[in-house]
Amino acid sequence: MSTVLTAARHELLASVRAKAPYALVAAFLGMVAASTFIGWRTSVTVTSIYDQVLADGLTTQPNPFTDVSPLYYVRNTVIYVLLIGSLMAATLGVQSALRDRRAETAALIGTRPVDGRALRAGRLLGLGLLLAALVGITQIITWISVSALVGGALTTSETLAIAGFGVLTWLLLIGFAGIGVLSGRLLRRERTALLAPVVVWAAIAFVVPQLGTAARPVSLLNPVPLPAQDSGAFSWLSQLLSPLAITEHFKTASAALLGSSYTGSPLTSAIVVALFACVAVAIAILIRSDRTTGGTHE
Amino acid sequence: MSETLTLARKELLDLRRDRIVWIVLGTLGIAVVLSVIVASLDYRAQLADYEAYVAQVTASGSGVTPAAPQLFPLTLLRGGMEYVEVLGALFALTIGYGAIAKERSRGTVDLLLTRTRSGTSIVMGKLAGLAVLWAAIMAAIVVIALASVATVGGAAIGLHEVARIALAGIAGWVYVLFWSAVAVAVTTLTRNSTGALLTLLVAWLLVVLVIPQIGDTMDPDNQVPGGLFKALAIAKADEHAVLDHFTAYESARNGLEVSSISKLYERFTFATLGIKDTYNGQSLAFVWDGTFRYIYGALAFTAAALTLAAASGRRIHTLRRAS
Repeated sequence: MSTVLTAARHELLASVRAKAPYALVAAFLGMVAASTFIGWRTSVTVTSIYDQVLADGLTTQPNPFTDVSPLYYVRNTVIYVLLIGSLMAATLGVQSALRDRRAETAALIGTRPVDGRALRAGRLLGLGLLLAALVGITQIITWISVSALVGGALTTSETLAIAGFGVLTWLLLIGFAGIGVLSGRLLRRERTALLAPVVVWAAIAFVVPQLGTAARPVSLLNPVPLPAQDSGAFSWLSQLLSPLAITEHFKTASAALLGSSYTGSPLTSAIVVALFACVAVAIAILIRSDRTTGGTHE
Repeated sequence: MSETLTLARKELLDLRRDRIVWIVLGTLGIAVVLSVIVASLDYRAQLADYEAYVAQVTASGSGVTPAAPQLFPLTLLRGGMEYVEVLGALFALTIGYGAIAKERSRGTVDLLLTRTRSGTSIVMGKLAGLAVLWAAIMAAIVVIALASVATVGGAAIGLHEVARIALAGIAGWVYVLFWSAVAVAVTTLTRNSTGALLTLLVAWLLVVLVIPQIGDTMDPDNQVPGGLFKALAIAKADEHAVLDHFTAYESARNGLEVSSISKLYERFTFATLGIKDTYNGQSLAFVWDGTFRYIYGALAFTAAALTLAAASGRRIHTLRRAS
């Protein structure tokens, strides 16, 4: 147990001291902060457009944004978690795995009577704590900015929904951190170690959902999850690949929490995201690698 | 000049032996084929739905049938072009970074400088090698795209289609060259290789994914599934008249989008291939009229990146190993 805690403490300290991933962390926090404003500005404009349409006598339909939940403004944050948060977590994971190799201290650690699995579990615990702190900051930013935009404190249920979204975000991020750690330990070069999780992310975010929905890749960055196609080859392809469409499940569960429109079962989607986190972390802890010693060369 | 060519030849030899290059070609090729397969299956599913609907209408005795869904062969490449836009840029960054970072890692910059007079020659030699490599990769993607549209999509390919895909390929080459030049410049100017790689990753995220996504998100018509104006049952002409009241908002949104070279590349390619409805079945002269500013924009971005890369060669000392 002391190995786990010592490794976790060291991981936290080393991750905070490493300046390289700061740009990603800053981009993540910045975009989460900006997303609420973007959502609010867009909603205000759409309401103005609706008022104009009504004044011109062009429609009798009701305003689609009447009675919209204050959490509607947060829906873009889902995409920034998928885009920037996932890659930030994977990068932190890769950096964690490469740190000892770069400093050439891995061999030194190997001379000590340390259980490798406890060491790896401790490092992931440290990463998990760091990610929890970052997610916590984003949720506080979100709560304050939405409260400011709607002109009053959010209700308890809205606050709990934001907290639930935070937990879901953390699960997704720790899963990608696990993939990053694994990549850093298995691949020899830093370039390939960083590229591999990005390619895995791209496959999960674009290729797998495209095969199940026939959507074009970039449209999958829309916060609204796309329904699976139920005709032709897509009906069984979407069922077969559904467990791998982690990002679409994240969008579904998040949309349900934030009161946006969604397709599918939010509970199933939340379970898939949690399973993804468990499997990725377990594999990152259990798989051993001979590449943990030796430098990182291009 | 001969120094640059010698270095370009050496870089090409290195790249040919680099497994990442083959992985890049394989991944992009598979992505293009996969997208054409998905688009073809989607079209066939739409056609089957249409035929079932027509059969129902006929059985009910109604003589009115809706228009059949039409297949424009090059529109099958929409997903493939988006993969080039997203993954092509990422791979171009990675390969450009590797071309410079390997010299730092091996400590071979001093050796290279004994064979040439300036750092600029080294950087431009590497970029020339990368330009040739990307020309070969984009040519391969064009051939793969043509073959998959003809075989999987079952479409007839004529000179018209070849010319348009070739133009899209050239646009793709300019686009990935921009990213490789940015990678070379940033890696040369940054003493820490890890920092350079992460900076490039952030740039890729912001320019390729985040900025275009913000533009799409702020589009009023994208706020409701199926489109806001469709949900409100508003005709196209009325939609334009309404949006005329919001020109400042639309200009800001459009300005944000065209600040990303990815969006410029996408708009030109989608117009050339007829993926955007406005340009479907139109002549290349019509496409040029509508997209020349995107071409000039993309060329200006790439020229700026190449200039920055050339200038970074003057600070080649950042690539020397710290003693």
